[in-house]
Amino acid sequence: MREGRHRRLELTRVASLGFTAFAALAFLGMLVLFTVESLPVWRQAGLGYLFGKRWFFRVHEFGILPMVYGTLAVSAVALLVAAPLGVGTAFFTVEVLPRRARLAVKTAVELLAGIPSVIYGLLGVLLLRDFVVRLLAHWDPLSGDTLMTGGLLLAVMILPTVMTLADDALSGVSAAQRTAARALGLTRAETALRVAARQAFPGLASAVLLGLGRALGETIAVFLVIGRQDNQWPKRLLSMEPLASAGQTLTTKLGGSETFISYGDPLHWGAVMGLALVLFAVVGVVSVAGARLALREGGGA
Amino acid sequence: MLDRLSPEALETEPAAAVLEARGLSVATGRRPLLRSIDLRIEPRRVLGILGPSGAGKTTLLRCLNRLVDLTPQLAVSGEILLHGRSIRGREVDADALRTRVGMLFQQPVVFPGSIADNVLFGVRHTGRPPRREWPERIERALGEAALWEEVRHRLREPAASLSAGQQQRLCLARTLAGEPEILLLDEPTSALDAGSTAAIEELILRLRERHAIVLVTHGLRQARRVADSIVYLAVRDGAGEVIESGLCQDLFSRPRSPELARYLSREPA
Amino acid sequence: MRRGIDRAFAAATGICAAAVCALLLGIAGSIVWRGLSVLDWRFVSRLAAGAGASGGVLYEILGTLILVATALLVSAPLATGVALVQAVYLETRPRARRWLFVALYAANSVPSVLLGIAGLIVFSRWLGWGKSWLAGGILLGLMILPTVSVALIERLRSLPRRYLEAASGLGLTRSQVIWSVLLPQSLGGLVSGLLLGLARASGETAPILFAAAVFSGAGLPAGIRDSPVVALPYHIFVLAQDSLDPTVQDHLWGAAAVLLALVFALSLLALPVRLRIHEEAKSA
Repeated sequence: MREGRHRRLELTRVASLGFTAFAALAFLGMLVLFTVESLPVWRQAGLGYLFGKRWFFRVHEFGILPMVYGTLAVSAVALLVAAPLGVGTAFFTVEVLPRRARLAVKTAVELLAGIPSVIYGLLGVLLLRDFVVRLLAHWDPLSGDTLMTGGLLLAVMILPTVMTLADDALSGVSAAQRTAARALGLTRAETALRVAARQAFPGLASAVLLGLGRALGETIAVFLVIGRQDNQWPKRLLSMEPLASAGQTLTTKLGGSETFISYGDPLHWGAVMGLALVLFAVVGVVSVAGARLALREGGGA
Repeated sequence: MLDRLSPEALETEPAAAVLEARGLSVATGRRPLLRSIDLRIEPRRVLGILGPSGAGKTTLLRCLNRLVDLTPQLAVSGEILLHGRSIRGREVDADALRTRVGMLFQQPVVFPGSIADNVLFGVRHTGRPPRREWPERIERALGEAALWEEVRHRLREPAASLSAGQQQRLCLARTLAGEPEILLLDEPTSALDAGSTAAIEELILRLRERHAIVLVTHGLRQARRVADSIVYLAVRDGAGEVIESGLCQDLFSRPRSPELARYLSREPA
Repeated sequence: MRRGIDRAFAAATGICAAAVCALLLGIAGSIVWRGLSVLDWRFVSRLAAGAGASGGVLYEILGTLILVATALLVSAPLATGVALVQAVYLETRPRARRWLFVALYAANSVPSVLLGIAGLIVFSRWLGWGKSWLAGGILLGLMILPTVSVALIERLRSLPRRYLEAASGLGLTRSQVIWSVLLPQSLGGLVSGLLLGLARASGETAPILFAAAVFSGAGLPAGIRDSPVVALPYHIFVLAQDSLDPTVQDHLWGAAAVLLALVFALSLLALPVRLRIHEEAKSA
């Protein structure tokens, strides 16, 4: 009788720990995998891989800087649009709206968050491209497939993430402090900005960082609207012109055909794996930072 | 050692009410919470609001500085007059009102930051004193709250490092910095130990010289020690009502209503 | 002046909220409106024709369901294990718990395309499966593991202590407490986490892009090796790249509407449970 109990105790514990280890290994294993598989390109090109501006795989030239630029540009546009909108909406739902309405808005936003990226991509293709051509008419874009299109599409996609997390952060501020501030004569806005925002700041920063992480890693939607043009290194970095042209990001390159066709060529394959490694590292750092901020705010383990 | 004003003194100084409630009723949905409350708050007096829990004392208090607005489910009707003018209209600036009618809560609520930051917190936004007047303001407010001597050398330290009693006095200083006419105190000592309670009660008697005070209290002893007149609030027919009101002395020695008599007999004298 | 700022604040944030709501309505509305004109019973029940650009999407729907079912079977036990470790076995080790929490967040942010590529390497090449539905299911299951785990963890931690104390007081071992009290009581959390995760999994393209899905030429899979499926997201993805033909566009909207219906059905099933747990946990 006791034997049976003992064995079950072992089994559940061992299985749980085993499953967790397996999951951890699976994810960490990816990191190792990409590192190992990309060794050829590090050996051959070293830092030139990271800072090179030319990618011509047929002649074994591999520089990823234009793709890094593409990723950063697209994510920057997305954040510049989605962070204020998302945080602003969260302020509205927490500080201004009555409780019932807040739940309704939250539900709506959750539904928005559930829309698959391929459908966002489809909307981008069929609806957003024309809009961007008109929007950027001054810079004379060749077509609707531009970095700006990708950025705007991403903004819509990360908006629910930013909004929900910001809402959680703001509503976690103690009601007693809010009431005390109002009792002193502070207006709603002053209470929101001086008391709530200050306390919720780690959570708000985390919301933005996690939104950024999502933007950095999104492939499918951006793939469909960005034009996928290699070697687009802007003549002037901080101008609108590169945003009005097609480009390439780390993810869109990975999602394309080179991932399949490069397998036979160790250097080419190494270069593609290098992209995966860089992407993994960048998203990893941003996400861990965002997660630790979320923990600091007090929501968690 | 200050004392409550003698009955004779109270009789011979009828003052115009600075804050009045007439027929004040509060309901949530269809359920009434308070029914037809009449109150008069006179300057330089302490009005004690006494009664069992659940009678609606805190709700009543929150009507007086329109903090009840923050709870949209509560529907308020009736009149509240400050110096004869209604404070309930939409055109009335509720935020400005709250600097004139200050409030102290049961649990001390300090903001993150230093002691000085806390004292200035309200005044920074709502007052117009220029920066150079701030140190003087801090000293004055902390002095009125009987906290100056204890913290004058550590104004920059975090407010959270103070004891509960000190924090409550800090909250009082914070409110006093705005120079309110009226102070609403919601059971300010129920979270404190006996020593801090006594300190605050003495403080109230001193504050009475310059402010009108409304004190919600749970304890008869505190009411006896501090209040000049009393309003006894209890639930009757499903909603809180003023059962009796009058001078403290009168109510305690000659309660007219059965509810108050029962209440008095249950509480330790 | 201060009142002015207060009003401006309410207005500015209100505009943000209105914009967000308008966006949602616009997106959902345009899909519903365009898609409904194409959707009918035949669309859902016929096979693709015309090299996949017309006809119905029956096999695509079935393929998606196969992938989702596999993901369910993969993630449910794994997530339960992770949740038990976080909520029970590491109860006395707060630092380890924090690291696991951060790891879950980080794992959740791993771009799905990387998961797909890892699957390409491990399943297609190393194991020699070529394109396989099973690889897709496993990858999707791994992808939603953090979501399901976190939902279950939240539920486990919100259980009233008196249940555990009563059970332990009766002399039950920890494992018995888990199986007879903890898990049955938190089933709601597991179910809602699964529904949410599967809603996400059903719409994902990148994980199945390399090692599981093809655009045409696949019916129901017959084994593991070289047994790809056709799936709605990949179907839409390929067609969308070449969508100037208006009849293709109609077909695209229809497929998108079907996919969205599936995703929303799964999400809506989970929502009431999840919101309730969320609010309970916050007010506790």
